[in-house]
Amino acid sequence: MLAYVARRLAMAVGTVLAAVLISFLLVHATDTSPGAVRLGPGGTPERIAAENEALGWNDPLYVQFFDYLGGFLQGDLGTSLVNGGSIAADLADRVPVTAFIALFATILSGIIGVALGVTAAVRGGRVGQLITTGAGVALSLPVFWVGIILVYLLAIQAGLLPATGYVAFAADPAGWFRSLTLPVLALTIGGAAIIARTANAGMREALAQEHIRTLRAMGTPEWRVRYVHALRFASVPVVSVLGIQFIALFGGSVIIENLFALPGLGQAGQAAAASSDFPALVGVVVVATVVVVVINLLLDLVVAVLDPKVRTA
Amino acid sequence: MSALPLDAAANTDLDAGRPSRPGRRLPYFLRRPGGLFGAVWLAFVVLASLTAPWWIPYGVAEQDLSNRLALPSADHWLGTDPLGRDLLSRIFSAGAEPLLGAGITVLVAFGIGLTMALIAAERGPRVERVSSRLAEVLLALPSTILLLAVIGAIGVRIFIVMAVLGVMISAAVYRVMLGVAKSVRQRLYVDAARVNGLSSLRVNLVHVLPSMGTVVAVQAAQLYGISLLIVAGLAFLGFGPAEPQPSWGFMIQDASSYVFSNPWLLVPTGVVLALTVVAANELADAIASRGSVARTTVRRRRPPARVGATATAGARPADPGAVLDVRDLHISVDDGPALVTGVSFALQPGRVLGLVGESGCGKTMTARSLMGLLPDGVSVSGGSIRWQGRELVGLSQEDLSAVRGREIAMISQEPMVALDPMFSVVYQLTQPIRRFRGVGRREARQIAAQLLRQVGIVDGERVLKSYPHQLSGGMAQRVCIALALTGEPRLLIADEPTTALDVTVQAEILSLLRALVRDTGLSVVIVSHDLGVVADICDDVAVMYAGTVVEDGTAAAVLDEPAHPYTQALLAANPHVADGEPVPTRLASIDGTVPPPGEWPTGCRFASRCLFAQEQCTQPFPSVPAHGSGSVLCTRVEELSRADVTWTSAPTTGPAGHETAPAATQPAPTVGVSR
Repeated sequence: MLAYVARRLAMAVGTVLAAVLISFLLVHATDTSPGAVRLGPGGTPERIAAENEALGWNDPLYVQFFDYLGGFLQGDLGTSLVNGGSIAADLADRVPVTAFIALFATILSGIIGVALGVTAAVRGGRVGQLITTGAGVALSLPVFWVGIILVYLLAIQAGLLPATGYVAFAADPAGWFRSLTLPVLALTIGGAAIIARTANAGMREALAQEHIRTLRAMGTPEWRVRYVHALRFASVPVVSVLGIQFIALFGGSVIIENLFALPGLGQAGQAAAASSDFPALVGVVVVATVVVVVINLLLDLVVAVLDPKVRTA
Repeated sequence: MSALPLDAAANTDLDAGRPSRPGRRLPYFLRRPGGLFGAVWLAFVVLASLTAPWWIPYGVAEQDLSNRLALPSADHWLGTDPLGRDLLSRIFSAGAEPLLGAGITVLVAFGIGLTMALIAAERGPRVERVSSRLAEVLLALPSTILLLAVIGAIGVRIFIVMAVLGVMISAAVYRVMLGVAKSVRQRLYVDAARVNGLSSLRVNLVHVLPSMGTVVAVQAAQLYGISLLIVAGLAFLGFGPAEPQPSWGFMIQDASSYVFSNPWLLVPTGVVLALTVVAANELADAIASRGSVARTTVRRRRPPARVGATATAGARPADPGAVLDVRDLHISVDDGPALVTGVSFALQPGRVLGLVGESGCGKTMTARSLMGLLPDGVSVSGGSIRWQGRELVGLSQEDLSAVRGREIAMISQEPMVALDPMFSVVYQLTQPIRRFRGVGRREARQIAAQLLRQVGIVDGERVLKSYPHQLSGGMAQRVCIALALTGEPRLLIADEPTTALDVTVQAEILSLLRALVRDTGLSVVIVSHDLGVVADICDDVAVMYAGTVVEDGTAAAVLDEPAHPYTQALLAANPHVADGEPVPTRLASIDGTVPPPGEWPTGCRFASRCLFAQEQCTQPFPSVPAHGSGSVLCTRVEELSRADVTWTSAPTTGPAGHETAPAATQPAPTVGVSR
């Protein structure tokens, strides 16, 4: 167990380092420069060169990299080229928005997906066919399109929820919840479909196991065979897919934040990409990776609790 | 039907029985509606998009400001956008970029992922460890956000961006392909090719890759759908072709501003994009469906037909002293061939009955039917199973589960997979103990420890706390036996209980079973292909061949004076040598194989392999009494015994029955050979 945790922790640190390195190298592969971005179209070549010099852009790459890494470890992600504000402070406000959307969507996908997938596996027949076909379609739908259709149906036609916009939790908790409902639903439709497929396959595999036959041969009540033993067996693949799903939803929230005008990490990423705000771009990638890695570490612990083979290794 | 896990079915290629219709040349995945739709729609969208410049009715930038936001009409089949531009023309002009871009992602992802997987599978664990760690890191990165960084750095060069996406996704491809490549390489012919000196590139190209074709196709189609969604998503964010050039994502973004007033604008582009992704996924599902046809069909268990014991004239009268009395049992695949026909045997209390025969003779099916535990799609189609005077055939699953564990218990072939890997031994033992004996948690634990002692486990406390993967095979089988004893059953069904175990452990488990019979008065039905096991432990034996009992009687009589040629042949092929007898220089074997269900000949089913087969063996005949209360199913049995001919003394010129063997293709009727 200790060795397992240590290995997962090492992987987590490695992943964050990789994110820093990759995004750092990416922005240095650009054919423009931070000086040009900061000065905008009015910048003369001389002023751009001076600006780049001041920003340290001309230092050797490794010096810049370790400078950045040193700052990162102290919580300093640099300043925006566009508005000069602290990137760390800006992102600190944005992370909760994206994290809540992704987390709620993952949890909701898990609950709905497991319920549907298990039903499909246990009931089989026409109900099972309907669920698997429906899931196949649902996971193919573009999330932004689903989002707009939900806005049309639930906000415009039914008038139940606000169409777009964000309400801070501190200002109005109920309003905050209402403002996140549609984005979470939009992400959940595809997410639940993927979980439903995983749960369906996992449950079918579980029910075909030899040990399930042993349980039946012992006259174990069918509910216990299905919902204690088979479900427990199927839970391991479902939880690992939930982890992958969280990463996907975290990334997918870029699009949803744009659609619903939510001040999250994705919106910052989009703005930074559109304006070539390099330090902000690196900051968004690194912060997003840290969040994803932390959530995955937690899920690894859940897997360890669920799977005795991992726990006792 | 390949999903049937039991021995009779596993050795029966039921798929082979399905005639391949020569008239239909469509690949299998196009025969499913989803696959056909997927292939047709994808082909249509790709063709229509690539040829768009030649057929679109309006230019992409051609504005008709008097006809803005129009609904579909004869002029504009799909309507117009806020600037009065024709939607049909714009949708199909926009198609080429995402369709090609997604293709680039798939190519790059497979180019890297598949190559790395092949290399890692070939070079072994050290290379694999490094590349798998790298893949894990790559997989944990939020790829959409990383793509934004790429766009920020290099601008909206969509094909390069999609290639970068391919690099990121290659980790996922690698993960899936590594597993497949490793299992393909483990197959023998790859080793053979390597030994033959083929270069590693050739081995990979000629032997490994083709076997991975299906998985590659499935993954590629799925990945294509995902990539399409990502290109469209980027365009939705504004990272796509610049206006007035159309893109699917931006057209939907545009539509979102008009959702209050003109919701129709959402429909055409959204539906085309969604249908294209659905098509890719449906195609993937259809390709993946190979070999799993049975899984998608609705299986409904047919209520077993109850056939009275007197229905068949040849059935023996009921045995009054027996605890278990099986009469004229028929088991068949629903709407398919019979697996077991006319099996009868009786078991006295406290005795051990062996069901022996080669694999695929229906032993396991017979044993499983005693508890109503036949696999899906297989059921008892006739006959009777009387347990302590009560008919079990036709009982509901609920009624049967009252019998299971409490009265009849089972131990299975593979102890290592018979226990639930997710639960500790103590949980798996105390749970049924509490149910069967109505005791509390603490008392159940004491009973569990006591049961473990009874099955010869000394360090019971440690075993109780263990999980199944921490036990050895022999230990796991002991725990399985303890589990079977939790309900204090009167009958134990043991399906090849020692086959998966080491020889020394086999002997220990057999002596444990013998002790249990002696101490508790348990009756046992033991399924085995090993005559040594039968000689060791059984009081009675029923020899099964091709779904029927060919000879039965007391173990001593059947083994000492085997009457049926098949029994003689089995004994001759048995490597166990009795004390004091010379070790034979060459073991006899039985030519040929057991005919699969559905291809049983009329008359004697062993005739095609029998040294003594003659014309008369192809005609139906009844069994004759033998070994006291037993019987033998051979029409020449008296003739052979008078002539004192046995399998080992027969001339070894090969089966005489070859000329007279009946046509094997003839469907086997279920009457005729039943007793």
